[in-house]
Amino acid sequence: MFDRDAPHTPRGTKLSTPAERSAAVNAAIEQIDPEWIIQIPSSTLKTIIDAQSARMGPRAFPATREEEAVGIGSGLALAGRRVMLIVQDNGIGNALTALTTFPQAYHIPLLMLVSRRGGLGEYNSMIHTFCEHVEEVSRAAQLRSFSLDGTVPLDEWTRRIVDAHEFARITHRPVLVYLNLMRE
Amino acid sequence: MKRWDALGLIADAYPRDPMVVTLGGTTRELAAMRRSPSHLYVLDSMGLPPAIGLGLALGLDDSSFDKVVVVEGDGSLLMGLSTLATIALTTPRKLVVLVLDNGAYSATGNQPTAAAAVDLCAIAMACGMQTGEVRDLEELRAALEWTRTTDGPLFVRAHTDVEAAKVPYLLEDPVVLSSTFAAYVARNR
Repeated sequence: MFDRDAPHTPRGTKLSTPAERSAAVNAAIEQIDPEWIIQIPSSTLKTIIDAQSARMGPRAFPATREEEAVGIGSGLALAGRRVMLIVQDNGIGNALTALTTFPQAYHIPLLMLVSRRGGLGEYNSMIHTFCEHVEEVSRAAQLRSFSLDGTVPLDEWTRRIVDAHEFARITHRPVLVYLNLMRE
Repeated sequence: MKRWDALGLIADAYPRDPMVVTLGGTTRELAAMRRSPSHLYVLDSMGLPPAIGLGLALGLDDSSFDKVVVVEGDGSLLMGLSTLATIALTTPRKLVVLVLDNGAYSATGNQPTAAAAVDLCAIAMACGMQTGEVRDLEELRAALEWTRTTDGPLFVRAHTDVEAAKVPYLLEDPVVLSSTFAAYVARNR
Protein backbone atom coordinates (compact mmCIF):
# COMPACT_ATOMS: atom_id res chain seq x y z
CA MET A 1 0.00 0.00 0.00
CA PHE A 2 1.24 3.48 -0.81
CA ASP A 3 2.22 5.44 2.27
CA ARG A 4 2.01 9.16 1.44
CA ASP A 5 4.15 10.06 4.47
CA ALA A 6 7.02 7.90 3.30
CA PRO A 7 7.66 8.96 -0.30
CA HIS A 8 9.66 6.60 -2.45
CA THR A 9 11.53 6.88 -5.70
CA PRO A 10 10.37 4.70 -8.58
CA ARG A 11 13.03 2.18 -7.65
CA GLY A 12 11.83 1.96 -4.05
CA THR A 13 14.56 4.01 -2.41
CA LYS A 14 13.24 6.31 0.29
CA LEU A 15 13.38 10.00 -0.60
CA SER A 16 15.54 12.28 1.49
CA THR A 17 13.87 14.96 3.57
CA PRO A 18 14.24 18.71 2.93
CA ALA A 19 16.24 18.98 6.17
CA GLU A 20 18.66 16.28 5.02
CA ARG A 21 19.06 17.96 1.63
CA SER A 22 19.70 21.34 3.24
CA ALA A 23 22.37 19.75 5.42
CA ALA A 24 24.00 18.27 2.30
CA VAL A 25 23.99 21.72 0.67
CA ASN A 26 25.60 23.25 3.75
CA ALA A 27 28.26 20.51 3.69
CA ALA A 28 29.00 21.34 0.04
CA ILE A 29 29.26 25.07 0.75
CA GLU A 30 31.69 24.39 3.58
CA GLN A 31 33.82 22.23 1.26
CA ILE A 32 33.86 24.96 -1.40
CA ASP A 33 34.61 27.49 1.35
CA PRO A 34 33.49 30.65 -0.47
CA GLU A 35 34.95 33.92 0.73
CA TRP A 36 31.68 35.70 -0.05
CA ILE A 37 28.04 34.64 -0.42
CA ILE A 38 25.47 36.96 -1.97
CA GLN A 39 21.94 35.81 -1.28
CA ILE A 40 18.28 36.58 -1.66
CA PRO A 41 16.22 34.53 0.75
CA SER A 42 13.52 31.97 0.10
CA SER A 43 11.45 30.12 2.68
CA THR A 44 13.03 26.85 1.55
CA LEU A 45 16.56 28.32 1.87
CA LYS A 46 16.19 29.49 5.47
CA THR A 47 18.26 26.68 6.99
CA ILE A 48 21.07 27.22 4.52
CA ILE A 49 21.16 31.01 4.63
CA ASP A 50 20.95 31.04 8.43
CA ALA A 51 23.82 28.55 8.72
CA GLN A 52 26.06 30.38 6.25
CA SER A 53 25.28 33.79 7.74
CA ALA A 54 26.23 32.46 11.18
CA ARG A 55 29.43 30.95 9.76
CA MET A 56 30.52 33.86 7.56
CA GLY A 57 29.11 36.95 9.27
CA PRO A 58 29.02 40.03 7.03
CA ARG A 59 30.68 38.14 4.16
CA ALA A 60 27.28 36.52 3.54
CA PHE A 61 24.94 39.38 2.76
CA PRO A 62 21.71 40.02 0.87
CA ALA A 63 21.38 41.77 -2.49
CA THR A 64 18.22 43.71 -3.32
CA ARG A 65 17.63 41.98 -6.67
CA GLU A 66 19.01 38.94 -8.46
CA GLU A 67 20.67 40.92 -11.26
CA GLU A 68 22.43 43.00 -8.64
CA ALA A 69 23.68 39.79 -7.02
CA VAL A 70 25.05 38.74 -10.41
CA GLY A 71 26.88 42.06 -10.73
CA ILE A 72 28.36 41.96 -7.22
CA GLY A 73 29.34 38.32 -7.58
CA SER A 74 30.98 38.97 -10.94
CA GLY A 75 32.96 41.87 -9.47
CA LEU A 76 34.18 39.67 -6.64
CA ALA A 77 35.15 36.95 -9.10
CA LEU A 78 37.08 39.48 -11.21
CA ALA A 79 38.90 40.46 -8.02
CA GLY A 80 39.99 36.82 -7.71
CA ARG A 81 37.62 35.89 -4.88
CA ARG A 82 35.66 32.66 -4.38
CA VAL A 83 32.05 33.72 -4.47
CA MET A 84 28.69 31.98 -4.55
CA LEU A 85 25.15 33.23 -5.12
CA ILE A 86 22.09 31.71 -3.42
CA VAL A 87 18.69 32.70 -4.77
CA GLN A 88 15.30 31.18 -5.54
CA ASP A 89 14.22 30.24 -9.03
CA ASN A 90 11.49 32.83 -9.55
CA GLY A 91 14.28 35.42 -9.44
CA ILE A 92 16.04 33.88 -12.42
CA GLY A 93 13.69 35.92 -14.59
CA ASN A 94 15.16 39.07 -13.06
CA ALA A 95 18.71 37.82 -13.60
CA LEU A 96 18.60 36.54 -17.19
CA THR A 97 19.82 39.68 -18.97
CA ALA A 98 22.53 40.32 -16.39
CA LEU A 99 23.71 36.70 -16.57
CA THR A 100 23.84 36.53 -20.34
CA THR A 101 25.32 39.97 -21.00
CA PHE A 102 27.91 39.95 -18.25
CA PRO A 103 29.35 36.76 -16.69
CA GLN A 104 28.30 34.58 -19.63
CA ALA A 105 29.59 37.02 -22.28
CA TYR A 106 32.70 38.02 -20.31
CA HIS A 107 33.53 34.41 -19.24
CA ILE A 108 33.34 34.96 -15.50
CA PRO A 109 32.94 31.84 -13.33
CA LEU A 110 29.97 32.14 -10.99
CA LEU A 111 28.17 29.39 -9.10
CA MET A 112 24.50 30.01 -8.35
CA LEU A 113 22.56 27.74 -6.02
CA VAL A 114 18.93 28.14 -7.01
CA SER A 115 16.09 26.77 -4.89
CA ARG A 116 13.12 25.37 -6.78
CA ARG A 117 9.60 26.56 -6.11
CA GLY A 118 6.31 25.53 -7.61
CA GLY A 119 4.97 22.02 -8.02
CA LEU A 120 3.70 19.72 -5.29
CA GLY A 121 3.93 21.24 -1.83
CA GLU A 122 3.95 24.84 -3.10
CA TYR A 123 1.61 27.16 -1.21
CA ASN A 124 1.94 30.24 -3.42
CA SER A 125 -0.39 29.96 -6.40
CA MET A 126 1.31 32.82 -8.27
CA ILE A 127 4.66 31.14 -8.49
CA HIS A 128 3.93 28.09 -10.65
CA THR A 129 3.79 29.72 -14.07
CA PHE A 130 7.42 30.79 -14.10
CA CYS A 131 9.00 28.26 -11.74
CA GLU A 132 7.65 25.14 -13.43
CA HIS A 133 9.51 26.16 -16.59
CA VAL A 134 12.58 27.85 -15.16
CA GLU A 135 14.97 25.10 -16.24
CA GLU A 136 13.73 25.34 -19.84
CA VAL A 137 14.06 29.11 -19.67
CA SER A 138 17.66 28.97 -18.47
CA ARG A 139 18.49 26.32 -21.07
CA ALA A 140 17.03 28.54 -23.80
CA ALA A 141 19.35 31.29 -22.56
CA GLN A 142 22.23 28.83 -22.92
CA LEU A 143 22.99 28.92 -19.20
CA ARG A 144 24.53 25.66 -17.98
CA SER A 145 22.63 24.10 -15.12
CA PHE A 146 22.39 20.93 -13.04
CA SER A 147 19.41 19.73 -11.01
CA LEU A 148 19.17 17.97 -7.67
CA ASP A 149 16.00 16.64 -6.07
CA GLY A 150 14.90 14.12 -3.50
CA THR A 151 15.56 11.17 -5.79
CA VAL A 152 19.29 11.95 -5.85
CA PRO A 153 21.20 10.26 -3.00
CA LEU A 154 22.28 12.68 -0.31
CA ASP A 155 26.01 12.09 -0.68
CA GLU A 156 25.60 12.90 -4.37
CA TRP A 157 24.08 16.28 -3.48
CA THR A 158 27.24 17.40 -1.73
CA ARG A 159 29.58 15.98 -4.37
CA ARG A 160 27.66 17.42 -7.32
CA ILE A 161 27.52 20.93 -5.85
CA VAL A 162 31.26 20.86 -5.20
CA ASP A 163 31.78 19.56 -8.75
CA ALA A 164 29.53 22.30 -10.17
CA HIS A 165 31.67 24.93 -8.49
CA GLU A 166 34.76 23.48 -10.14
CA PHE A 167 32.86 23.18 -13.42
CA ALA A 168 32.04 26.91 -13.35
CA ARG A 169 35.70 27.69 -12.67
CA ILE A 170 37.16 25.58 -15.46
CA THR A 171 34.52 26.48 -18.03
CA HIS A 172 34.68 30.20 -17.17
CA ARG A 173 30.96 30.83 -17.00
CA PRO A 174 28.00 31.04 -14.67
CA VAL A 175 26.63 27.64 -13.62
CA LEU A 176 23.26 27.17 -11.94
CA VAL A 177 22.46 24.28 -9.62
CA TYR A 178 18.73 23.88 -9.13
CA LEU A 179 17.96 22.51 -5.67
CA ASN A 180 14.56 21.04 -4.87
CA LEU A 181 14.30 21.59 -1.12
CA MET A 182 10.55 21.22 -1.06
CA ARG A 183 8.61 18.23 0.23
CA GLU A 184 9.31 16.05 -2.79
CA MET B 1 30.84 70.36 -19.42
CA LYS B 2 31.44 67.89 -22.24
CA ARG B 3 31.49 64.22 -21.29
CA TRP B 4 34.69 63.79 -23.29
CA ASP B 5 36.45 66.43 -21.18
CA ALA B 6 35.07 64.99 -17.93
CA LEU B 7 36.34 61.53 -18.88
CA GLY B 8 39.77 62.99 -19.58
CA LEU B 9 39.95 64.41 -16.04
CA ILE B 10 38.73 61.13 -14.54
CA ALA B 11 41.34 59.14 -16.47
CA ASP B 12 44.04 61.57 -15.32
CA ALA B 13 42.91 61.29 -11.68
CA TYR B 14 42.80 57.50 -11.71
CA PRO B 15 45.54 56.14 -13.99
CA ARG B 16 46.10 52.98 -11.93
CA ASP B 17 43.01 52.03 -9.92
CA PRO B 18 40.42 49.65 -11.40
CA MET B 19 37.63 51.47 -13.20
CA VAL B 20 34.24 50.05 -14.26
CA VAL B 21 32.91 52.04 -17.22
CA THR B 22 29.25 52.11 -18.12
CA LEU B 23 27.81 51.19 -21.49
CA GLY B 24 27.16 53.30 -24.55
CA GLY B 25 29.02 56.47 -25.44
CA THR B 26 30.84 56.62 -22.10
CA THR B 27 32.71 53.36 -22.58
CA ARG B 28 33.35 54.11 -26.27
CA GLU B 29 34.71 57.59 -25.58
CA LEU B 30 37.00 56.46 -22.77
CA ALA B 31 38.29 53.51 -24.80
CA ALA B 32 38.97 55.80 -27.76
CA MET B 33 40.61 58.48 -25.65
CA ARG B 34 42.62 56.57 -23.05
CA ARG B 35 42.48 52.80 -23.49
CA SER B 36 43.81 51.07 -20.37
CA PRO B 37 43.92 47.52 -18.96
CA SER B 38 42.71 49.03 -15.67
CA HIS B 39 39.35 49.78 -17.32
CA LEU B 40 36.54 47.26 -17.41
CA TYR B 41 34.47 48.30 -20.40
CA VAL B 42 30.86 47.20 -19.85
CA LEU B 43 29.34 46.93 -23.31
CA ASP B 44 25.76 46.21 -22.22
CA SER B 45 24.42 45.20 -18.77
CA MET B 46 22.66 48.49 -18.15
CA GLY B 47 22.19 49.08 -14.43
CA LEU B 48 24.98 46.74 -13.39
CA PRO B 49 28.16 48.88 -13.14
CA PRO B 50 27.66 49.98 -9.48
CA ALA B 51 27.07 46.33 -8.50
CA ILE B 52 30.17 45.18 -10.38
CA GLY B 53 32.16 47.98 -8.76
CA LEU B 54 30.80 47.06 -5.35
CA GLY B 55 31.99 43.46 -5.79
CA LEU B 56 35.41 44.67 -6.92
CA ALA B 57 35.69 47.12 -4.03
CA LEU B 58 34.85 44.44 -1.49
CA GLY B 59 37.17 41.93 -3.12
CA LEU B 60 40.05 44.40 -3.38
CA ASP B 61 39.67 45.96 0.04
CA ASP B 62 43.04 44.54 1.15
CA SER B 63 44.79 45.27 -2.16
CA SER B 64 47.29 47.99 -3.01
CA PHE B 65 44.67 49.83 -5.05
CA ASP B 66 43.49 53.04 -3.40
CA LYS B 67 40.04 53.04 -4.94
CA VAL B 68 37.69 51.17 -7.27
CA VAL B 69 35.99 53.71 -9.53
CA VAL B 70 32.64 53.30 -11.25
CA VAL B 71 31.92 55.71 -14.11
CA GLU B 72 28.16 55.51 -14.44
CA GLY B 73 25.45 57.35 -16.39
CA ASP B 74 22.21 58.68 -14.97
CA GLY B 75 19.99 56.29 -16.94
CA SER B 76 21.96 53.23 -15.93
CA LEU B 77 22.18 54.38 -12.31
CA LEU B 78 18.40 54.72 -12.18
CA MET B 79 18.00 51.20 -13.57
CA GLY B 80 20.16 49.72 -10.82
CA LEU B 81 19.35 52.25 -8.12
CA SER B 82 18.66 49.68 -5.42
CA THR B 83 22.36 48.74 -5.43
CA LEU B 84 22.90 51.91 -3.39
CA ALA B 85 21.07 50.18 -0.52
CA THR B 86 23.52 47.28 -0.68
CA ILE B 87 26.38 49.79 -0.70
CA ALA B 88 24.87 51.20 2.50
CA LEU B 89 24.81 47.71 3.98
CA THR B 90 28.36 46.75 3.03
CA THR B 91 30.13 50.16 3.33
CA PRO B 92 32.93 49.55 0.79
CA ARG B 93 35.59 52.06 1.81
CA LYS B 94 37.33 52.02 -1.59
CA LEU B 95 34.26 52.53 -3.78
CA VAL B 96 33.84 55.76 -5.75
CA VAL B 97 30.74 56.16 -7.95
CA LEU B 98 31.06 58.98 -10.50
CA VAL B 99 27.79 59.68 -12.30
CA LEU B 100 28.07 61.57 -15.58
CA ASP B 101 24.56 62.96 -15.69
CA ASN B 102 23.48 64.31 -19.06
CA GLY B 103 19.80 63.79 -18.26
CA ALA B 104 19.32 61.61 -21.31
CA TYR B 105 19.51 58.13 -22.76
CA SER B 106 22.01 59.43 -25.27
CA ALA B 107 22.82 56.13 -27.00
CA THR B 108 19.19 55.76 -28.05
CA GLY B 109 18.53 59.31 -29.24
CA ASN B 110 18.70 61.55 -26.17
CA GLN B 111 15.31 60.68 -24.74
CA PRO B 112 15.11 62.28 -21.26
CA THR B 113 15.74 60.20 -18.15
CA ALA B 114 14.00 60.89 -14.85
CA ALA B 115 17.25 62.20 -13.36
CA ALA B 116 16.29 65.87 -13.65
CA ALA B 117 13.44 65.23 -11.25
CA VAL B 118 15.53 63.38 -8.69
CA ASP B 119 18.04 64.50 -6.07
CA LEU B 120 20.52 61.69 -6.73
CA CYS B 121 22.97 62.97 -4.10
CA ALA B 122 20.26 62.91 -1.43
CA ILE B 123 19.51 59.29 -2.31
CA ALA B 124 23.20 58.38 -2.17
CA MET B 125 23.61 60.25 1.11
CA ALA B 126 20.65 58.37 2.56
CA CYS B 127 22.52 55.21 1.55
CA GLY B 128 25.54 56.10 3.63
CA MET B 129 27.67 57.67 0.89
CA GLN B 130 29.44 60.99 1.10
CA THR B 131 28.47 63.02 -1.92
CA GLY B 132 29.40 65.92 -4.16
CA GLU B 133 27.68 67.60 -7.13
CA VAL B 134 29.60 69.44 -9.84
CA ARG B 135 28.73 71.40 -12.97
CA ASP B 136 32.02 72.34 -14.62
CA LEU B 137 35.52 71.01 -15.12
CA GLU B 138 37.09 72.98 -12.27
CA GLU B 139 34.53 71.64 -9.81
CA LEU B 140 35.04 68.15 -11.16
CA ARG B 141 38.80 68.45 -10.77
CA ALA B 142 38.32 69.42 -7.11
CA ALA B 143 35.80 66.65 -6.56
CA LEU B 144 38.17 64.06 -8.01
CA GLU B 145 40.92 65.23 -5.66
CA TRP B 146 38.44 64.89 -2.81
CA THR B 147 37.59 61.32 -3.86
CA ARG B 148 41.29 60.42 -4.01
CA THR B 149 41.88 61.55 -0.43
CA THR B 150 38.66 60.53 1.30
CA ASP B 151 37.48 57.10 2.44
CA GLY B 152 34.40 55.80 0.68
CA PRO B 153 31.83 54.95 -0.24
CA LEU B 154 31.73 58.18 -2.24
CA PHE B 155 29.32 59.49 -4.86
CA VAL B 156 29.77 62.39 -7.28
CA ARG B 157 27.08 63.67 -9.62
CA ALA B 158 28.69 65.53 -12.51
CA HIS B 159 26.30 67.33 -14.85
CA THR B 160 27.40 67.09 -18.47
CA ASP B 161 26.10 68.14 -21.89
CA VAL B 162 24.25 65.67 -24.06
CA GLU B 163 26.84 66.19 -26.78
CA ALA B 164 28.73 63.00 -27.60
CA ALA B 165 32.07 62.65 -29.33
CA LYS B 166 32.17 60.88 -32.67
CA VAL B 167 34.03 57.69 -31.84
CA PRO B 168 33.80 54.18 -33.25
CA TYR B 169 31.88 51.33 -31.64
CA LEU B 170 33.88 49.13 -29.29
CA LEU B 171 33.42 45.76 -30.97
CA GLU B 172 36.00 43.62 -29.21
CA ASP B 173 35.17 40.24 -27.73
CA PRO B 174 34.05 40.78 -24.11
CA VAL B 175 36.24 37.83 -23.12
CA VAL B 176 39.30 39.84 -24.17
CA LEU B 177 38.05 42.86 -22.23
CA SER B 178 37.48 40.88 -19.03
CA SER B 179 40.64 38.78 -19.21
CA THR B 180 42.77 41.89 -19.84
CA PHE B 181 41.18 43.59 -16.85
CA ALA B 182 41.35 40.56 -14.53
CA ALA B 183 45.01 39.99 -15.41
CA TYR B 184 45.77 43.64 -14.68
CA VAL B 185 44.03 43.42 -11.30
CA ALA B 186 45.82 40.18 -10.38
CA ARG B 187 49.20 41.57 -11.42
CA ASN B 188 48.88 44.87 -9.58
CA ARG B 189 46.70 44.14 -6.56
